[in-house]
Order: sequence, then C-alpha cells, then structure tokens
Amino acid sequence: MAVLVSLLIFFLAIAGAPLFVVILAAAMTGFFYADIPLMVITIEMYRLVDTPLLLALPLFTFAGYLLAESQLSTRLVNLTQVFLGWLPGGLSIVAFVTCAFFTAFTGASGVTIVAVGALLFPALVQAGYKEKFSLGLVTTSGSLGLLLAPSLPLILYGVIVQQMDLPNPFTIQELFIAGLLPALLMIVLLTAYSIWSNRSQPIEVGKYNKTQAKQALWAMRWEIPLPFIVLGGIYSGFFAVSEAAAVTAFYVLLIEVFILKEVPYKQLPRVVRESMIMVGGILMILGVSLAFTNYLIDAEIPQFLFAWIQQYVTSKITFLILLNIVLLVMGALLDIFSALVIMIPLIVPMAMQFGVDPVHLGIIFLANMQIGYFTPPIGMNLFIASYRFKRSITELYEATIPFMLVLLVALVIITYVPEVSLFFLDR
Amino acid sequence: MTKDILRPWVNGIQWLENAALVFALISMLGLAVLQIVLRNVFDGGFLWAESFLRILVLWVAILGGMVATRENNHINIDALSRFLPERFQRLLQIVTGLFSAAICGTVAWYSFEYVNLEYQDETIAFASVPTWMCQAILPFGFAVICIRFSVRAMQTIFDQSKLGNS
Repeated sequence: MAVLVSLLIFFLAIAGAPLFVVILAAAMTGFFYADIPLMVITIEMYRLVDTPLLLALPLFTFAGYLLAESQLSTRLVNLTQVFLGWLPGGLSIVAFVTCAFFTAFTGASGVTIVAVGALLFPALVQAGYKEKFSLGLVTTSGSLGLLLAPSLPLILYGVIVQQMDLPNPFTIQELFIAGLLPALLMIVLLTAYSIWSNRSQPIEVGKYNKTQAKQALWAMRWEIPLPFIVLGGIYSGFFAVSEAAAVTAFYVLLIEVFILKEVPYKQLPRVVRESMIMVGGILMILGVSLAFTNYLIDAEIPQFLFAWIQQYVTSKITFLILLNIVLLVMGALLDIFSALVIMIPLIVPMAMQFGVDPVHLGIIFLANMQIGYFTPPIGMNLFIASYRFKRSITELYEATIPFMLVLLVALVIITYVPEVSLFFLDR
Repeated sequence: MTKDILRPWVNGIQWLENAALVFALISMLGLAVLQIVLRNVFDGGFLWAESFLRILVLWVAILGGMVATRENNHINIDALSRFLPERFQRLLQIVTGLFSAAICGTVAWYSFEYVNLEYQDETIAFASVPTWMCQAILPFGFAVICIRFSVRAMQTIFDQSKLGNS
C-alpha cells in the first residue's frame, strides 16, 4: 500500500502538481504510517520562525528585483566595458564579470539573460564574435555568479544545513568566502576558452579611454558603494547576513526609487508582489520540507541510504563522482530551489560520513546546479534564451555545449581539489 | 453569471491580499533597518523586534504562497505535460488541482486544531502578542490556497465540458 501511495505521489509530481504539495503529501503519508498525529506538520512549518537567517531571503530578493527593474544592466555593461574591454578577449570577460555580478544580486531566475544578455549579445556579434559563440556565451553566463555573495541559493544551502544540527557547523560567511575562488576559476577558464575559440576571428578590442571611464564611473556613482556595503559588511563581520540584506534593500530602494527615479514608486507594489511570489514559493517549499526532513530523520532514511550505498561505494572519490552525476541530472530536471530542498537532507549526512566538508559540499552542489541551468534537454536558461533571442532550442543546445564542457572541467577541479573552496578558510 | 456578481468581491480580496503583502514587506524592511540604527548609534533596540521580524517572514511566506496560487505560479517539476496533447494536459491539471486542494485542506484543518490548542494554552510569542495570533496565518493561508486550487480545478472541468459540447 505504502509503495502504491509513493508511486501515486511521484506520478502527481511529474504531472505538474506544485512541489510544496508533493512534499506535503509525502510527509503526511510518512507520518500517517508512523502513527504520528498530522498536527506535527504545522509544528514543523512554524519552525520557519526559528531561523533568524531567513530574514535575508525576502530582503535580498526584493533588492534584486528592484535592481533588475532599473537601468543598472546598461550602466554595468558600460562600466565593465571601459575597464576590462581592452584586455584580450575583452568583451567576453565583460560579459562574464557583468553576468556574475548581476546574478549574485538578482538570483539566477533568468533575469540575467533577459536584462544583461540582451545587451551583450548584439554587442558581442558586432565586435566580431561568431553568432553561435555569442549565443552560447550569454546563455551560459545566465547562471554564472551563483557561488558569489549574496546569492540566494547559497544562503538557502546554509539555512537548510544549519537547521540539521551537524557535528561540524559553519557560518554563511564561510560559505560566501568559499565561493570566491571557484567562481574566479570558472571565469578564468571560460575566458581562456573564449580567446582560444576566437583566435582566427578578427575581434575588435576596445581602447581604454579616460573620459569614458569617468562617465561610466559617474553613471554608476550610486551603485558602486553597494558591493562594498554588502560584501564588505558580510566578509568583515560588521553586519550579520540578514542585516546586510536589510541595508541592501533599503539602500537600493532609496537610490532606484527616490534618487535615480528609475523605478516609479507606483510600480513598487508590483515589484513587491512579484518578488514575494518567488519568496513565498521558496519558503513554502522550505517550510514543508522541514516537516519532511523531520520524517526522514525519524525514519532513519539517511542512515539507511548510507548503509546501502556503502555496499557499492567505499572511497570518497567514487562517492564524489556519483554525487556529481546525480546532481547534474537533478539540476537539469528540477529548479535550483527544489533541488536544494530535496537533495540536501538526503545527501549532506551521507557526504559527511564520507568525509566531505559541508562548506566544500555546498560549493559542489551549486556548481552542479549552475551547469544544470543549461543542460539539455530542459535546462531552464535554454528556454529563456530561446524565447528572448528567438532561436530554436536545438540551436541553443549546440551553442552551449562547448561552454558546458569548459564548466565541467571547472566542476571536476572544484570537486576533487577541496582547497579551491577552502583555501581562505580555517577548516 | 455568478462570476459577475462575485467579481467585485474577488477583486477586493485580491487588493487586500496585495496590500497585506506590501505592508508586511515594508514593515519588515523598516523595522530591520531601524534595529540596525538603534544598535549602532544608540546601543539599544527593541527586545521584541527580532521575534516580530521572524514572524513577519512566516507571514510573507504564506501570503506570497497565497498570491502564487492565485497567479498559478508555484514551483513544480512538470516533466510530463509538455510532451502530452492538450486534452491530457487539461486532465492532468484537474487531477493535480484536486489533489493539491485536498492536501492543503487537510493541512488547514490540522493547523486550525494546533492553533486552537495554542489559544487554550495562552502562550505568548513576544511582548504581549499571543502565539496563536502569529500562527493563525497557517490555517488561514492553507484554507485560501485550498479554495483557490478547488476553484481552478472546477473552472477547468467546466471549460472542458463546454469544449466537449461545442
């Protein structure tokens, strides 16, 4: 009977039932068979209130949506073009850096492709890059930056793992620091590939121009302090993460609505609604997954899984290879938040038994998810790019595959050389 | 026809819902910033602010979930329907909609029982605000979500039969 119910729930999940409903159904079935009163679900969901860090989620999301509504994307492209455009591979570096920054602040919800990619794609083609290459580049860049503060998935990983009461805890700050070098590695490898791939193309390289530099800096005068407030505040420990989120949201609201006036205040309710729909969706999944995780731990499922997998896998390396494969598939099938919420409670305890550091594991998780965004056949960014640039989806498969291979190389390095993530940390 | 009579009510409820969401987020932002200013400039702050902020997060989550249901914007996996003809897609929409309504209705029911217990226990969440008041959003939110899923499923069934007749 229980098997039948599980199959039914699985069917409803792939039939398109909302994920929070699916997780609720699974948790309720579990508790029902364990003779635990279903009231426990409410008690568990109310535990959302016990996690102070969660405050960062709505505030950072709101700030990100406001930034995406403003003209920041144009200013950001201009600025990076002036300062990095003269380098070999100039415009592609501009693209990677801009997209990474934009995604870190707005979350990889596809808005990077729509807002920044749409500016960069024609610019790349005009500068002499091949069209297919440019298309692949902007699609790939849509999820670059997931590893950088204050990216929501990174915070979410921290939140979920922290409430699991693991033996070696970590702070969100550590997670943010761990993401720095891996993100840099990805950008360096992608840039190297861009230069190599276009070695026979006549590429225009921009010149550094002092007046333009001044203009670009002046245009960005209000936004330039932002990374210093957020990153400086968080990395130095002056602000707690949720405080940094409050300051960011407040500052962004102030400059975009009242100083630069790029987001009319009449639009504010709409921006709030749109951003909070996303937050509500994520937090509801998180809330019900607290209940589900509780059931899993009660039923000793992680231990069972560990015992089962130990029959086949004994070394850390084999485990990591398997982990990468599973996560790549999950990242392509599920959206990042659902994948995190479902996979973390199952995988983190297992990984720790194999001796993987939880901070390193977080970086592995997100690096896989980042690639999942544009993994054929149904990576989300492929569809967004196909819609935005009016290209067929197969054309996008072809365009992104070389970039995917480059990032897979980065993934292998990140996975098997923990020092890349843990270099600046005392772990 | 009944739709036209209900329309102003539905619009009114939606307006209230949006307003509550905006109000919750803005007060969250305002209070969080105020707390930082008080801490750094005056070395003080409200004792209850921390708890209140966390409860606001829960309220924003559930209100956001309610609006997400309204706009049919929940995160789902949906690996199947894009490969199916439209008739099957609609059938699946009806099935998943009724299923979601049933699950959310059950949660609403048990949440109500739980909140009722807290009400009788008279526990305090922060300052002099009782816990049950903070939790009340759970049964309320899930009841609203349940109704929305049911109504949408009904609408799809209704449209389906109309389609069959024509």
